Amino acid sequence: MMNKSKRPVSPISIIIYIVLLLLVAVYLTPLLWMVNVSLKTNAEVFSSPFGMPEVLQLGNYIFAWTKGYLGRAMFNSLIVCVIALIVSMFLGSMASFAIARMKWKLSGLAMTYFMIGMMVPVHCVLIPLFVRFSNLGLTNSLAGLILPYITFSLPMTIFLMVGFFKGMPREMFEAACIDGCNIYQCYFRIAIPLSKTGMSVAALMTFVGNWNELLLAMVFISDTTKKTLPVTLTYFVGPYSTNYVQMFAAVIIAIAPTILVYCMFSNQIVDGLTAGAVKG
Amino acid sequence: MKKKLLSLLLSVGMITSLLSGCGVSTNTGSAAQTESSSTAAAETGETAETETKTETASTGKEVQITWMFWDDLEATEDLITKGYKEVIDRFNNDYAGTYHVNVITTNLEEYDTKLNALIAAKDTPDLFICNPGPNLTQYVDAGVAADLTDILTNQEKDWYNSFSGGIFERITYDGKIMAVPTNFAAACVFYNTEIFEAAGVKAPSTYEELLSACQKIKEAGYTPISCSAGTAWCLSMVAGYLCDRVGGPDNLQKIADHQMEWTDPTFIDAGNKLKELSQYFQATAAGDSNDQATAAFYNGEAAMLIQGSWVIGQVNGNNPDFEPKCGVFQFPAVTGGADPNRMIVKTDNLVMSSTTENPDAVIALMKYFTDETAQKYTAEIGGKIPVVNNVEIDYTKAPAQLSYVQDILANMTGTFGFYNESLASVEAGDVFDNAMVDIFLGNTTSDEAFQKVQSFYEKNVWK
Amino acid sequence: MEKILKDKKAIVIFIAPAFILFTFVLFIPIIQVFYYSLCDYNALTKPEFVGLKNYINLFTDDETMRTALKNSLFFMIFSAVSQQITGLLLAVLLTNIKHGRNFFKNIYYLPCVLSSAALGLLWAFMFNPKMGINQMLAYFGIEGPMWLSSTKGFIVLPMWVIACVALWQYVGTTMMLYIAQISGISKELYEASYIDGASKAQTFRYLTLPLVKPMMTISLSLNCIGSLKFFDLVYNMTQGGPNHSTDVLATHLYMQGFQYFKYGYASSISVVLLILCLIVSFLINKFIKAETYES
Repeated sequence: MMNKSKRPVSPISIIIYIVLLLLVAVYLTPLLWMVNVSLKTNAEVFSSPFGMPEVLQLGNYIFAWTKGYLGRAMFNSLIVCVIALIVSMFLGSMASFAIARMKWKLSGLAMTYFMIGMMVPVHCVLIPLFVRFSNLGLTNSLAGLILPYITFSLPMTIFLMVGFFKGMPREMFEAACIDGCNIYQCYFRIAIPLSKTGMSVAALMTFVGNWNELLLAMVFISDTTKKTLPVTLTYFVGPYSTNYVQMFAAVIIAIAPTILVYCMFSNQIVDGLTAGAVKG
Repeated sequence: MKKKLLSLLLSVGMITSLLSGCGVSTNTGSAAQTESSSTAAAETGETAETETKTETASTGKEVQITWMFWDDLEATEDLITKGYKEVIDRFNNDYAGTYHVNVITTNLEEYDTKLNALIAAKDTPDLFICNPGPNLTQYVDAGVAADLTDILTNQEKDWYNSFSGGIFERITYDGKIMAVPTNFAAACVFYNTEIFEAAGVKAPSTYEELLSACQKIKEAGYTPISCSAGTAWCLSMVAGYLCDRVGGPDNLQKIADHQMEWTDPTFIDAGNKLKELSQYFQATAAGDSNDQATAAFYNGEAAMLIQGSWVIGQVNGNNPDFEPKCGVFQFPAVTGGADPNRMIVKTDNLVMSSTTENPDAVIALMKYFTDETAQKYTAEIGGKIPVVNNVEIDYTKAPAQLSYVQDILANMTGTFGFYNESLASVEAGDVFDNAMVDIFLGNTTSDEAFQKVQSFYEKNVWK
Repeated sequence: MEKILKDKKAIVIFIAPAFILFTFVLFIPIIQVFYYSLCDYNALTKPEFVGLKNYINLFTDDETMRTALKNSLFFMIFSAVSQQITGLLLAVLLTNIKHGRNFFKNIYYLPCVLSSAALGLLWAFMFNPKMGINQMLAYFGIEGPMWLSSTKGFIVLPMWVIACVALWQYVGTTMMLYIAQISGISKELYEASYIDGASKAQTFRYLTLPLVKPMMTISLSLNCIGSLKFFDLVYNMTQGGPNHSTDVLATHLYMQGFQYFKYGYASSISVVLLILCLIVSFLINKFIKAETYES
């Protein structure tokens, strides 16, 4: 943006930039307010919610980090989400490949079958799911959380990946077959590399979804040392009053890793973009 | 042929890689687990001061029990919760090697969800906290709660006798005591003495005086009453008081027995009074949450706050300068109405699972919640009222407001619960709450609102 | 080629792991939910079969259900329209600008990664009657409305507010999907169209739009399904209140199941929700496909 002034700019693009920057303001103001609150005292939040803090309350962050067990929770969340991400992407993309590219009568039905998983709110399957897992002795363990996370991520992954696989040109696969590739090579060597952009989006959505998942984590895990981030964030909402400042401090700490993962995946998407798309 | 063989080989390869893939994932899962538990152990070692030492000293013999609670014991600022944490630490320390209690915490919103899931999976916590009223009734009806009558009245007579009279009233079903209370809170009117002085009014004792006091305070430029209708039970508590003051004390029992209709003139009158009083609420009452309404009071914007006595800790914690200027009076009488010395009270209750394998340990733990140390803490620091009568409380240590509450309680002639927790079901309580919100918002008249409660009862309760 | 793609064994190998996991973890509980929806069940004692009673109550005797259905449908339509338009527009703008593409994209996606509990608290503050937005309006001498507690109108104001916050929070996802799709369009196509003298608007109409159409089916379905079973923001901002006027299907289900101990009844709501989702995604598929044949 620095070198913008060097070239003549069309009025349209100036308008576009103004609109985009206004949107940035809409997006950042509430988030900056959150940072502001996290540096105040609880009393200040109510007396002057939008003023600047009198004294920067960095202690909120220390409190949130130590009392909220944020370090441990973040570690647990990372383990759960990363494993769930890898497995669900792998299983999901395999299934999508079979549904999208291979020829069998039931492929449409299989797609609908998986999609049902997307249409059920998690609350309604909670009790039967929990009872099953409890009988298997899988509750109160991270593995017991990873399994449902993988499964709940599958429908969305499959739905997205089928879309991306279907969009691939048929000629690619034909050429590969003529070159003697078998179906597994088609999947690993052609489908996967070509759908990198799509996979990044699916991966991003899976990861973010699991990272913020509260209900299953709350119900499945009882042990403090195995709790995930969203659960620990609720610690600050008490039965009669909410500990706003420390809660927002914790939220800010909790965003950090997501942003990291997010930049990793999303820049993948933009890499694809710069490699493949527009020149204005 | 060759191709087929190759594909077969590859597919075998795929399967094995798949299996191993799965294997790896579960392995890492469990590895992470063991790792996490070992680091957890290390951590407890490091923070031995805060954590109890029992964990390291655990032997095979130690009996493990679980207690479930609706607030986190560590990150909270709630004084009662902090008191519970002390109880747990003390118990685990004293019984090291014999009993050990593990705490399951959730936030308030997901508490019932998780508890129900655990019960459905036949993994009920040995001891759990529960609201009185329909919530407890659910667990009693489902046979989840253990009958404590025999234990209390026969085996542990001293313990039973230490409780204040009448405290078990609302947690007794068909003569069976189903829970043990740990503290109780009474709803009063808290007021800002400075504003009252500035407006030249005294603590009112009748509803009419309350209205005129509100008028004067309003004229003096303050908000008379801070109330949250955004958190429906706050408004419904005021409504509950009005209903009782106008038509109490037996109206709820009569409703339950269907000897009285919700369209009774006393209820309608109470609804109209609620509407009348609500003109003195802060302008934003409709949207303010409980926290916000309370903040308006301790920040000196509003003169009165009608709230449970648990609010004392919150008020003093957030604005320590407020304690000396905070007064308390009981909810005023309605002229020509019922006994004005009845109070809305609410107990926190411990329910023992009917399937617990270690009732002895659970009873030992319950005793810790009601022993002298815990109850002294409840009063002197937590700002709630003890449930036992044999504790000497040093009121100079306790928040000033608590002794005012105690003075009011001395004249108390009877208690009743929050209306939403005293009706036939949780849903019925919600219907009542929402009817009150509707009156407040001016969506319906008092008649229409109570007609709604009436028709809910006709359809669902009095069949 | 045909033979390879019809390889039964390979199909099984590809689909089996996902299928097995899905069936055991998710599908069997869904079947159980169907059964519970025909029962009186409070999740504490054994379910008691009552036939279609729950469904009959649901449609004849439940005022909140009607509100919830109305709100959910409103929410779905609003989200689908607003997110599709804004998302596509942002994606096209961002793929066409020269500078700061990453910067803008990251900012717009940021709320998607935040926990909705925190965002709910944040927006409840922003839309408080006297703080936040109303404070700003008061500065200009305007008295702001009761954003989250007004109960006037067919679609109450809080629903509009929540829908707008949802747009703010989730449009990033739609944008991201479109960016991914547009970035898949080969740059030669664009170059060719510019060489042919097409304007940017024409390129968008005749090149980008048709090529992102498959993505439209996908993201529209995601939007619709997601907003039909939407729970988080509603629960965190208004809890369905005041007086159930902002209840949506998912919050109604939650209240019935976990606050009122009517798990069987809640199950019947989720079956209705599932059927609605199926109908909507069927319609989307049919409608968009039909349109593709036209052009």
